[in-house]
Amino acid sequence: MFDFDATLPLMAVQFLLLAAILNVVFYKPLTQAIEDRSDYIRTNETDAKERLAKAESLAKQYETELAETRKQYQMTIAAAQAEAQKIAAQKVAEAQQEAQSQREQAQQELDQQKQAAMQTLEHQVEALSREILDKLLVGI
Amino acid sequence: MLNFLDAPHTLHLASLEVGHHLYWEIGGLKVHGQVFLVSWFVIGLLVVASLLATRNIQRIPSGIQNFMEYALEFVRDLARNQLGEKEYRPWVPFIGTLFLFIFVSNWSGALIPWKLIKLPEGELAAPTNDINTTVALALLVSLAYFYAGFSRKGLGYFAKYIQPTPILLPIAILEDFTKPLSLSFRLFGNILADELVVAVLVLLVPLFVPLPVMLLGLFTSAIQALVFATLAAAYIHEAIEGHGEEEHG
Repeated sequence: MFDFDATLPLMAVQFLLLAAILNVVFYKPLTQAIEDRSDYIRTNETDAKERLAKAESLAKQYETELAETRKQYQMTIAAAQAEAQKIAAQKVAEAQQEAQSQREQAQQELDQQKQAAMQTLEHQVEALSREILDKLLVGI
Repeated sequence: MLNFLDAPHTLHLASLEVGHHLYWEIGGLKVHGQVFLVSWFVIGLLVVASLLATRNIQRIPSGIQNFMEYALEFVRDLARNQLGEKEYRPWVPFIGTLFLFIFVSNWSGALIPWKLIKLPEGELAAPTNDINTTVALALLVSLAYFYAGFSRKGLGYFAKYIQPTPILLPIAILEDFTKPLSLSFRLFGNILADELVVAVLVLLVPLFVPLPVMLLGLFTSAIQALVFATLAAAYIHEAIEGHGEEEHG
């Protein structure tokens, strides 16, 4: 059972050879593969994280822009409404004024014509009355 | 009773052969042929599996590559747990090969019906049930940790023998002998004893009864491979680190 012979050193040499061969065909390539994979995963992960952060910041920026735009557009609408109201008020006031002035003018003209008519009527009345008087007086 | 004693000779499948070897003569040196035959099988299996796994390396592993990556990660973790994150890388091939070789040897001895192949003398079995193999591996572990110690600290490595107190010098020296001794005999004893127990049970009750012991044998084989590799890594770590947390400063 305990007979030592040349098996021992030969087995040792054989084992070292096996270790050397496995180092070349097993440990090195597979270690390389495992490390490459973990590198790949790590870089991908950081990349993805970066992209996620970027996307989030973009979304935030977009939201702030959206809010700003909305505010601006509401402001624009409010300003436009105010201006329109102002213009409308102005226009109404102008129109009213014009109408007033026109009415006054028409009234004035009417008055003038009335006066003129009255005057001519008076003249005619006077002329008629003189004529009547003349005729009466001639009759006398 | 006589009939029972004769049983080993009549039932070939249940015969016990301990201490019989298939001797080969190489340049006047005797070697155990059956050990080499099975060890070549084991080596071939490992190399072929490695080649198949690395023939076409994918980023997303599948099949044999996945399996061998699992094996690699297992031995890497084993080495890392013992040697630490900083030191373990150069030792992974040595410790990993120790584990894989012993594990595949043990399991091939337990799982493959070598008895079906008849040899002129001796029998095929796990290479690890030959004392030569285990002593060879244990001596390699000794060399490895001496190498680790010297390459790290030079002659300062000897300081560890008298580090806590010179009184322990004889024990420290004794340790260098007991380490390979215990490593080799633990592995040898466990594997041989397991095969003997299975053989004896098969001799007594050929059917079903030996199965639990065989399962236990598989478990023991795996554990022994793990223990051997773990202890090898621990010894190397000890040689690198010395006794001192003081080295970390």
